[in-house]
Amino acid sequence: AARMAAPTMEERKACWGARDEFWQCLDSHADDAAKCEKLRRAFELRCPQQWVKHFDKRRDFLKYKRKLETEGYIPPEAAGKS
Amino acid sequence: RAAVAAAVAGAAGAGWLYLRRDKERRLRARRLRDLRALALGQGDFQLHDTSGTPRRKADFLGRWVLLYFGFTHCPDVCPEELEKLSRAVELLERDPALPPLQPLFVTVDPERDDAAALARYLRDFHPRLVGLTGTPEQVRAAAAAFRVYVSAGPPDADGDYVVDHSVLTFLVGPDGLFRDYYGRSRTAEEVAESVRRHMETYEPLPP
Repeated sequence: AARMAAPTMEERKACWGARDEFWQCLDSHADDAAKCEKLRRAFELRCPQQWVKHFDKRRDFLKYKRKLETEGYIPPEAAGKS
Repeated sequence: RAAVAAAVAGAAGAGWLYLRRDKERRLRARRLRDLRALALGQGDFQLHDTSGTPRRKADFLGRWVLLYFGFTHCPDVCPEELEKLSRAVELLERDPALPPLQPLFVTVDPERDDAAALARYLRDFHPRLVGLTGTPEQVRAAAAAFRVYVSAGPPDADGDYVVDHSVLTFLVGPDGLFRDYYGRSRTAEEVAESVRRHMETYEPLPP
């Protein structure tokens, strides 16, 4: 298989822009991915598959981090201990 | 009597200043010994730049170096860190009293990042940024010398993959000794400020 060249600066920025639009949509729809299908497809078109995977993981991490910052850390066995 | 009191106070003050400077000198000397014992980035690397010219670590002696390990297929971290590195170098260039700083990029993905790929990629960053690549063995040795973690992920159907790696920018002094490192959380301004301080208090490693 022919080696794909790395994305150029313009391609990177286009990908990041599509990702940001998709994420903004998710932010305003409480992460309901069904409401953001069009932007999801645009994001997947603009970015290499490996980057889509990477950014999906990044989003999950950022959500988890935000949750920790707002709700605090709740250890899994906190309930029921005397 | 007032004159005697003033003289004693003056002598005490001078004595205290001397002790404090001596303590700082000893702390710096100890830090240098620790850095040398750490031996980070010691050992020669044998790579080549984007024009195909062989470059060894020894070639950079005499210059301050700001070095980052990354790869061109990197989704976001490497472009951000290279922007930051470029900006830090630019900030320091504005001060003619400071020695020149050599920005350096070493790929952790030699299979894809050949000289041509590096040249294309680095065009978007600082004009003096030098890119280095080599055989997988040579690159592995260079990363190992700086204890940089490198792990290529599984390729997908198109053969594309990302390389997980430590995200660090290393400061190396003109004597070739590793002096400091900067992670994701440092801004370009903070890096420039730290490099400036290293340059201003620089003492070469005693033999």
